[in-house]
Amino acid sequence: MDAPNLIAAVQALQPDATVREKTDRPTLIVPAEGLVALATRLRDDPALKFELLEAHTAIDWIEEDRFELLYLLASIAHGHVLTLSVSVDRENPEVPTLCNVYPIAEWLERESYDLMGILYDDHPDLRRLFLEDDWVGFPLRKDYEDDFMLERPE
Amino acid sequence: MGVITDKLPGVLEPVPGGQVLLTAVDQLINWSRSNSLWPLTFGTSCCAIEMMMATGAARHDMARFGAEVARPSPRQADLLVIAGTIVKRMAPRLRTLYEQMAEPRYVMATGSCAICGGPFMYDSYTTIRGADEVIPVDVYVPGCPPRPEAFFYGLLTLQKMIREGESIRHPGERRRPVLAALPEGMTLDDIRKEMQDLLSHDANVKMVDELAEGAHFSAELKDF
Amino acid sequence: MSVNVSTLQARISGESTASSPLSTEEYFVNMGPQHPSTHGVLRLVLRLDGETVRDVVPVLGYIHRGIEKMGEHGNYRQFVHLVDRMDYLAALSNNWAVTMVVEKAAKMETTDRIQAIRTLVCELQRIQSHQLWWGVFGMDLGGFTPFFYGLRDREQLCDIFEKTIGARLTMNYIQPGGVMYDIHPDFVKDVKTFLAYFKSKLPEYDTLMSENVIIQERLRGIGKLSAERALALGATGPVLRASGVAHDLRKSEPYGLYSQVDFDVPVGTTGDCWDRYWVRMEEMRQSIRIVEQLIDNIPEGKTFMVKPAAKIKVPAGVHYSHMETPRGVLGVVLVSDGKESPYRIHCRTPNFNNLWCIGEMATGGRIGDLVAMLSSIDLVIPDIDR
Repeated sequence: MDAPNLIAAVQALQPDATVREKTDRPTLIVPAEGLVALATRLRDDPALKFELLEAHTAIDWIEEDRFELLYLLASIAHGHVLTLSVSVDRENPEVPTLCNVYPIAEWLERESYDLMGILYDDHPDLRRLFLEDDWVGFPLRKDYEDDFMLERPE
Repeated sequence: MGVITDKLPGVLEPVPGGQVLLTAVDQLINWSRSNSLWPLTFGTSCCAIEMMMATGAARHDMARFGAEVARPSPRQADLLVIAGTIVKRMAPRLRTLYEQMAEPRYVMATGSCAICGGPFMYDSYTTIRGADEVIPVDVYVPGCPPRPEAFFYGLLTLQKMIREGESIRHPGERRRPVLAALPEGMTLDDIRKEMQDLLSHDANVKMVDELAEGAHFSAELKDF
Repeated sequence: MSVNVSTLQARISGESTASSPLSTEEYFVNMGPQHPSTHGVLRLVLRLDGETVRDVVPVLGYIHRGIEKMGEHGNYRQFVHLVDRMDYLAALSNNWAVTMVVEKAAKMETTDRIQAIRTLVCELQRIQSHQLWWGVFGMDLGGFTPFFYGLRDREQLCDIFEKTIGARLTMNYIQPGGVMYDIHPDFVKDVKTFLAYFKSKLPEYDTLMSENVIIQERLRGIGKLSAERALALGATGPVLRASGVAHDLRKSEPYGLYSQVDFDVPVGTTGDCWDRYWVRMEEMRQSIRIVEQLIDNIPEGKTFMVKPAAKIKVPAGVHYSHMETPRGVLGVVLVSDGKESPYRIHCRTPNFNNLWCIGEMATGGRIGDLVAMLSSIDLVIPDIDR
């Protein structure tokens, strides 16, 4: 399915989804509430069949006071791709987990909790992935400060 | 059988029925220690591959210099080669590994990361800037990663240090750590020649002049 | 809805799941971070019931260097040399992945010569990476000879790379806008010599390992991974293809000159350790085919489109591009705000996803087979931790 058809098909499933500009893949902005239901239908719909969650990452838009979460989906059967973008509040970054739809999400979400501090509701095993359990702060946030880090001299 | 890169220290006195070796115990012990280093198989990142190429693989073959038996257990090893970056989470484990090794123990830091943090020195929130912040280091081998030849140069430097180093009467006294950088302008052929000179000291090794008979050597390799 | 943050201690505690009618007790074994067969500093906490593995908990972070954070502080060329140290056995592929996303986003043009050189060196490095894997795999299974064979042949490729690139491991060769140097005048001759040499050596690999009944007994039916579970766990590369899914980005989304060459994608049937072994062996043969088709047809042209010192500005937005490394799909998410350094850069690394298949493979199996399963995934730990 090519990009305009794909976006139309997904918008039929989720009418309030809007297209995100400035990306090179078809990207839709969806609300956090219906994420699990939408992902389940994207995976199970025979015409869409997004069986692979290729990557998941978070972006810290500190000036707009929000985190943007990207879910990069791919369909090997049909050869098309789709990105879901979810915005969450920076003060209380809670989103539902996709563990039950894509099992790999368990670890991708742990990474994003570890480095960015996103909180995933109903995650079975939410804990630090790379850093020690008692680490303070989330290093990939733009306002992270650490006395240990050395600034690169100009 | 390793290559003994240095003659046995002492003098041989002929007596009826054979010879008597006159030597100092310190010298003899240091000489034997320097020629039987057992490295620990410990690598964290890229430098570990070059260490594998140097210790295990056929072309470089560290066994020639008396550091043959790589051991997976720190209890049986006396040379710790820090091959790769050390991060905050690994640092206590590195310390434990070092403390588990039997005395006398020696440490080589290979690669920029183990020397100063290397490319991960700035803007990294976990990288330890130099393994010597965690454990004492005897020899630094620069490179990113160091070539097997540079690794050997470090090993030969360490052996030299051991031979001139601590004595059994004053255990624990070490020489200052050194940087074993290959001298500037040195080429691969120089290194090969130096190694051949070292090898020719050993009566047990029959030398084939690889440089002169390069074609013959590689033909032989193909038939192997 | 609830968010509970857990700890490692909580994860490995819990009810015993021992199923024997005898009175048994579960126990834990720590494998790593310093262990010769975890290929680096991976730590596995194993919950064992006798010799049966009940649970595998990988613990990461012993080589987490924060490459993504460092990327935000440097420019694009500086990031290329950082990813060398991620999957160091396929440094050229990593270079290319970053280069590809930057070129695509900044709309930089390349010549056919650049693409041909990139394709050639990446395929040679795929052979090199699989040679090392083959040697280490044999060593993990208990034989030392494969290690000598694999590394002996790997040295020949190291020499070829050293002549052109000047490095043996961390290449920093493929740059946005081209390649750092043109190929060495001897490159074509050396590669042909190597191919003739290596083709005569591959049957040796087969007689030593593939046709060895002990190896086959140890690998067949061990660590099975079904196609559905492999996809659900996000596995890519030989791990996914061994489970029977012919997903190869070189075929489905050709980049470089892969659309002009003829090659097959080997797939397995059952997804056990033997299939993963066989898929990699066959990939080496296919890589030889690709190199043979390209080596005589390197087009003439420039090898660098812009001056290497030029700073690159990428238009604002989210860019993504992915490619097939020897271990699977390496994707780079690049978020730019129009400046000279990325706003956020994230690498989707193949080993990160492939690692979690070990839980699926090992649970219920024997601890003696665990090393074979780990080695058949072909992990590079800094690629997981970044």
